[in-house]
Amino acid sequence: MTSFKTPSRTRTRTRALALTALGLAASLCGVSAQAQSCGLNNGKKATGQPIPVGAVVGKTGPDDFSASAGAAAAYFNCVNSNGGIHGRPVDYQVADDQWNPEVAAQVASKLVKDRKVVAMAGNTSFVECGANARLYAQENVMVVAGTGVPRECFFARNYVPLNAGPRVSATIATMYAARQYKAKKIVCVIPNIPSLGNWACEGPKEWGRKNGVEVQTLTIDPGSADPTSVVLQAAAQKPDAILFDVPKGLLVPMLGAAEQQGLGRKIHFLSAAPAYNVEVPKSIGAYWKDNFDTNLEFQPLESKGPDNQNWLAVMDKYGKKDDPRDTFSQAGYLAARLLTETLLKMDPQKIERASVTEALRQVADFRSDILCKPFHIGAGQRHNANNSGPMARSNGAGWTPTEPCLQADDPELADVRADAQKLGQK
Amino acid sequence: MTPNSPMCEPTPRSWARNKLERRLDTLLPFLVSGLGLGAVYALSGMGLVLLYRSSGVLNFAFGAIGAMGAYVAWSVLQQGLGLSWACLAAVATAMALSLGYGRLLAPRLAHRDPSIRSIATLGFALVVMGLTDWLWDEQPRRLNLPTDAGGLEFSTAIGDVRLTTTRLLSLALAALMMLGIGLLLSRTRIGLKMRALANDRELSALLGIRVLQVDGVAWLLSGAFAGVCGLLLANMVRLQATLLTFLVIPAFAAAILGRLSSLPLTVLAGLAIGVLEAVSITWPGYAPYRSATPFLVALLACLFFRNTTRKA
Repeated sequence: MTSFKTPSRTRTRTRALALTALGLAASLCGVSAQAQSCGLNNGKKATGQPIPVGAVVGKTGPDDFSASAGAAAAYFNCVNSNGGIHGRPVDYQVADDQWNPEVAAQVASKLVKDRKVVAMAGNTSFVECGANARLYAQENVMVVAGTGVPRECFFARNYVPLNAGPRVSATIATMYAARQYKAKKIVCVIPNIPSLGNWACEGPKEWGRKNGVEVQTLTIDPGSADPTSVVLQAAAQKPDAILFDVPKGLLVPMLGAAEQQGLGRKIHFLSAAPAYNVEVPKSIGAYWKDNFDTNLEFQPLESKGPDNQNWLAVMDKYGKKDDPRDTFSQAGYLAARLLTETLLKMDPQKIERASVTEALRQVADFRSDILCKPFHIGAGQRHNANNSGPMARSNGAGWTPTEPCLQADDPELADVRADAQKLGQK
Repeated sequence: MTPNSPMCEPTPRSWARNKLERRLDTLLPFLVSGLGLGAVYALSGMGLVLLYRSSGVLNFAFGAIGAMGAYVAWSVLQQGLGLSWACLAAVATAMALSLGYGRLLAPRLAHRDPSIRSIATLGFALVVMGLTDWLWDEQPRRLNLPTDAGGLEFSTAIGDVRLTTTRLLSLALAALMMLGIGLLLSRTRIGLKMRALANDRELSALLGIRVLQVDGVAWLLSGAFAGVCGLLLANMVRLQATLLTFLVIPAFAAAILGRLSSLPLTVLAGLAIGVLEAVSITWPGYAPYRSATPFLVALLACLFFRNTTRKA
């Protein structure tokens, strides 16, 4: 016999079920915000023969670029406390290149030749790509880097940055300016740093050429004490938008100078990824509220995605208190996770450099909600698999997301996309 | 007369004049931008000359002292204490640092070679810069002044440009300080003692001049200059300890061009360096390297005023 419940009882039960589900979801969210998942996740400390993994970072020098390695170290600590790589702990060794190419070559040689690392993870340096790319290729060691900046980082066979890089980031911001603000003329401001100034603004330029947008490059001297002349020179080209591809330390005074000259009300201002920092909206002030957009190389730091929450949980439990929670840290976490998951798929007794490099080249579908799209490594001659990113707008106190994911339509990425297709990615 | 008559055709002279006018119109925004910066270089140069003329020390820590003053002002502003307190704190910090060095370390080097006395201030600069970097990390910061909003507007062929009230104040301050310090050194008793000290410390002491006291006044005044310049440069350039520390180089160039004695020449040289650096952004091949401008000027100044530099 079929029984029919009265509507009121059905409503009551539905409500009760909904409340229970909500409660469960809330408690699960609570758990996921605190607990962390990494490696085998079995809670057993790894005690076997250590697996040497290295990293070269620019810690001491003009800026501290060690946040990626800090996050990778936290992740490996978590892995080692949770069964390691089938019982073998990761012995993570980080070396500081002091922003000096000579030191970068010395410390990389020590890690690769003396310490016999099987791979590198979380590297972030302004100088080491140029200094060490050849060594890594010769020694057949793969680098799953956190963040790469100069061109050499994206044009090396054994160097795989997790971030998008200044060229891709600037291209996405240009595409956004053209679509959102109907910009037909854009000035791209870039510092005269070798392998950056003559490369990063070419992406927007080439995209513009194909899409009827005129993009002019203004190469600036980062050491100059005169930001006002930079913004006046950019504004003199009568652009619809000005795009900065400069470090945040230069960006903030340039926006200040633009504000003093009243340019923010006449021209749209945007930036590539370096502007994405929690302090920037507060530093630039109320004038730029809803008036300044930036590209992000990853999903926002406060994203509720499970992997982003896991990154934060890992940092809270296994990281140092003063480790930054920034995009460098997101990149380092992803690099460590990618390497760990690759190692876990291997026979723990056969983990050596050649086999690890081979296994990493097979990575075709690494997924994380921190990334816009699945990430691949493959056997290509260069790597720039992260070439999509969100956009956000300053709200005076932080960033408001405006675009979830935009893919860079840079002609230079044709080979990277072809490699992705070979690996079965759409 | 028809429009095509020879009378209507531009003469080579009027054509050249029109071309020059157009060029000046294009350069005007950068002249305006450079004047403000140049005024602060001029003020810094005067701070250096003032100390040199009294104690014989070329103070390389001038920029670092000003930078720490600017960071203190920023912190005061963050506490919501208002601009007056911030300015006061900046100048007081710079004066305290300068006086501290002038009373504690400088007298111990008073009998050493002038170059050793100057290099010692470079060491002090590095200590102060390191301390500033340690106390305030590398986060991007802005030091806004209420005078940034208003100012004189100019319309040019390449767009509008504003000479902000801050820059106008810097220019006025440079002119006033030039007069004030000139009078102090030439017309007052303390100015006379300062000059005597620079000339011969031992003889001055024998004549009864209280060396430490006069030295202290010079370091104190130089510190006040550093505080004001630090505030203005942090506003116009950026609030970054390293950059502000090494902005002593344009000031040094201005002071050398003023032969370490002439205040009007120092002011003119400071203004010229600021304008030159700003205008050079329009020179295509040189623009990406224009921060070298003050260094080039300093180098040329050292070359042409060898006697002055050697004396320093």
